[in-house]
Amino acid sequence: MKIRSGLWLGFWLVAASAAHAKPIAFADGTTVMAEYGAGTMKEVQVFYAPTYRYSLGGGHLSLRSDVDGRARDITYARINYLPKRWNLENAQANVFVWASAGRALVDDTDSVFAWNGGGQFDYETRRIYGSLRTDLHESSRYSHRIDTLQLGFAPYKHDYGTLAFWFVVQGRNYTGELYDGIEWAGLLRIFKGNAWLEAGATGDGKLQAMLMFNF
Amino acid sequence: MKKLSTLILACLVSGIASVIAPGIASAATIEMQVNGLVCGFCAQGIEKTLRKNPATTDVLVSLEHKLVAVATKDGSDIADAELRKALTNAGYDVKAITRTQNSLADLRKRVGVKGK
Repeated sequence: MKIRSGLWLGFWLVAASAAHAKPIAFADGTTVMAEYGAGTMKEVQVFYAPTYRYSLGGGHLSLRSDVDGRARDITYARINYLPKRWNLENAQANVFVWASAGRALVDDTDSVFAWNGGGQFDYETRRIYGSLRTDLHESSRYSHRIDTLQLGFAPYKHDYGTLAFWFVVQGRNYTGELYDGIEWAGLLRIFKGNAWLEAGATGDGKLQAMLMFNF
Repeated sequence: MKKLSTLILACLVSGIASVIAPGIASAATIEMQVNGLVCGFCAQGIEKTLRKNPATTDVLVSLEHKLVAVATKDGSDIADAELRKALTNAGYDVKAITRTQNSLADLRKRVGVKGK
């Protein structure tokens, strides 16, 4: 049962990770994201950034387990904050933190208060990308933390307004007795202009995809 | 004789104007060296912010050259403080600002970036 629960959470959380590329666009910028995750997860998010330091918004996360049919529907409001950014000559690094609160409908019956807090450090050049993230989810019905490492490689240097390709490998460790071991996923990231598409598969071949727009 | 007087007067007015406001008519293109410019998707805010300025006619962003350039309307300029603020709001740091008489079209050719 523990393994089944872990797999279900794994599908959900691997899929959810793609949305966390960068939660703040730019001052007076709006970010819209939509995700489909391994047949078990759908999520939409909208954030508006009054300044480049923080963004406000909300989202809806719908989870359906294809293992045991368990369901969670979470509607939440969220704030993202950028406490530190390093703009280097050939790189950029960031520290993001966030917190959200909302309602979670568990198994289509119980509606409970749910909250989430997390942080991310990322480093990026035009050829390599790395991020380390921790995310804590709490409610009266569930509690878990997920630590995620993403490493990306671009086969060529893209420029502003040109098509960018990235290959991203992701490893994730679950705490709180959710899952033993690390789950891996491979993603292809493509973006041009204000559109971003990320698609890939988890270790067991399940599809995940994410679409994002900044404007 | 009347034509000659008009010509001399026009030259005098033009000369005085250039002495009084040397920065106004001189800026064809503003070039900025920018740190942190590594992601085209993330750099959209630069163009969006700079195009809001009424003096702006065109914007060029080059990740390869770590360059942001702005073409301004004839007789217009954008103050350095305003430029730095725009880039900061977009999430970046300006390293240096220079003004040239080169057109943005020429600059695009030089850095190999196509116009919109």
